[in-house]
Amino acid sequence: MNTLLRLTVANIRSLVRDRAALFWTFFFPVMFVFLFGWIFGGSGDSKVSIGFVDQDNSPISIGLKQAFSSVDLLVVQTGSLEDEKAAMQHGDVSAIVVLPKGTGAAVAAKVASSIQLYLDPSRSQVSQVVEQIAGKITGGFNLTLAGGTEVVGVQNMTLQSTNISSVAYLVPSILAMALMQLGVFAAIPLVQQREKGILKRIGATPLPRWKLVGSNVLLRLLVAIVDAVVILGIGVAVFNVQIVGSVLAVVGIVLLGAGAFLAIGFMLASFLKTEEQATGVVQVVQMPMMFLSGIFFQFDFLPGFLQTIGRFMPLTYLADALRQVMVNGTQVAPLGMDLAILTGWLVVCLTISARSFRWE
Amino acid sequence: MTQSGEPVIAVADLFKCYGDVKAVDGISFQVGRGEVFGMLGPNGAGKTTTIEILEGLREPDSGTATVFGMDIAKHAPSIKQRIGVQLQTVSLYPRLTVTELLDLFGSFYAHHLPTQQLIDAVDLGERAKARSMDLSGGQQQRLSIALALINDPELIFLDEPTTGLDPQARRSLWDLVKGLQAQGKSIMLTTHYMEEAAELCDRVAIMDHGHILEMGTVPELIGRRFKERAVFFDTSPKLAVEQLGKLDGVTRAAVEDGQTVLYSRDVAGTIGALLGLTDELNVDPRNLGIRQATLEDVFLDLTGRALRD
Repeated sequence: MNTLLRLTVANIRSLVRDRAALFWTFFFPVMFVFLFGWIFGGSGDSKVSIGFVDQDNSPISIGLKQAFSSVDLLVVQTGSLEDEKAAMQHGDVSAIVVLPKGTGAAVAAKVASSIQLYLDPSRSQVSQVVEQIAGKITGGFNLTLAGGTEVVGVQNMTLQSTNISSVAYLVPSILAMALMQLGVFAAIPLVQQREKGILKRIGATPLPRWKLVGSNVLLRLLVAIVDAVVILGIGVAVFNVQIVGSVLAVVGIVLLGAGAFLAIGFMLASFLKTEEQATGVVQVVQMPMMFLSGIFFQFDFLPGFLQTIGRFMPLTYLADALRQVMVNGTQVAPLGMDLAILTGWLVVCLTISARSFRWE
Repeated sequence: MTQSGEPVIAVADLFKCYGDVKAVDGISFQVGRGEVFGMLGPNGAGKTTTIEILEGLREPDSGTATVFGMDIAKHAPSIKQRIGVQLQTVSLYPRLTVTELLDLFGSFYAHHLPTQQLIDAVDLGERAKARSMDLSGGQQQRLSIALALINDPELIFLDEPTTGLDPQARRSLWDLVKGLQAQGKSIMLTTHYMEEAAELCDRVAIMDHGHILEMGTVPELIGRRFKERAVFFDTSPKLAVEQLGKLDGVTRAAVEDGQTVLYSRDVAGTIGALLGLTDELNVDPRNLGIRQATLEDVFLDLTGRALRD
């Protein structure tokens, strides 16, 4: 077996046999997904709430409302368009059906008209369900009222729900957090291995150093993929989060993000001497990032000066990139800029580590 | 000692500083093929720095160091294929087992011995599946030796191989080293135990403050400084050293470690004169004995200090 693979296997064994490391690497992020999933839940509910805005108030519009209400899957609330839009943005309803003024009159005159359907493309599963229901209901009306001629159509509208408490927002955030932690925390075993003289002992063998570094990178990237699969798996299976972007793009960003944070971890390991130091400094680095990168709450909701600090943190951009690709979330920066900033961190930190890393 | 052909280690005018501290301050020595060469000295003498330069782990500030006739600075990878290394700190991946560690380290070398053979060689058969963190100090040290032997090396470096071991474990490690020597391996070891150097080494270099103070076989080192043997005893009250110095055959009298020691060229004459004196003074010489000077005496004589653990 190849030396690089053997070393990687040795690293995997060491990780798997270390309960504390296992906890932080896998169970901690998973715990977060469940914790926040249940707190902010909602998407796990099998019923879909929709808002119904009746601007027409004709027998037709009342009939349509009854038709929507009679669908088991839907919970219908009524209100003004303003109120319902606000409710949708807060995640209280998943879609809005609007009956514009004059729909009843148009139908009576057998003139084509349409109802408006506000959907959030980032919540495509729910949106598809509502769209299908709306299609069936209007189809039924057309059949009974006009013998199949389309008098009531459906006009789709887009409304991005900027719901801060949605699991869809949190799952990519937690994945970003896990990647940040796996990278930054990688400093600890490295410092530990140096402090114990393991790096030095291996230095006395003919093993080239790049293989030693390479096996560490391989291990962490592997963990990154496992973390991604586990976290996204739970998000999709338990909390019905929809991944709208391409899986390949998600994998690419996961690897880039893990790489950037691993470079930060290596850089920290270059400057830290003892395991105690490393454990402390790693916390000092990761804690502010967790709270100032808008991963648990909308970035825009942070006070201005904290946003400024947050804009210096690589986690902000990793979370942003993952959200954009996975759930089409609102963006802090354009995707290209997210990727450029992460690449920048990767290159700069790796260069610094390469120059200042000490093997003993 | 089978010193033949070119030396396996040749060091000339080696210097290495850490800041203001001259860890290695211009040393030169050679180690022949099949020889067991010991560096003896207290902590901080520069032994470990020297051995780590030879292992390719540190770069000297100046001077030349060759192993197998190759410059270490230029040929470290091929030298590392042929040497075995045991470092002072024995820590290894703590969660890997003995077998896993040997398999792993074996894979770093172009050629390596079968894991089972190594486990047998250091008598770790019963602990083969134990994680290295669960081994006792002596077992960890034996594992560390097994790792040093993994590539069937021609030259083995052992840095304080028995420090911290109990006497029994130390004995069994000495037997292991003697076995390696019998196989024709060249060995360079450091120690601060006199008995260890005397027991194992064909030649010894005594090091202190970065310098080699003396070098040679153990009898040479002792003979060079001490033509005499030591007569030692206790009396109460202590006798005046000046008076004792005038006894027959005595070249020097001193109080060492609470014992009165007379260095004598004529042991029989000295003891006769001493007993005459004590009789006259009506004191009782207790614990009277004779010994050959030891490496400890050589070190004490060279540095004015006792070697310490």
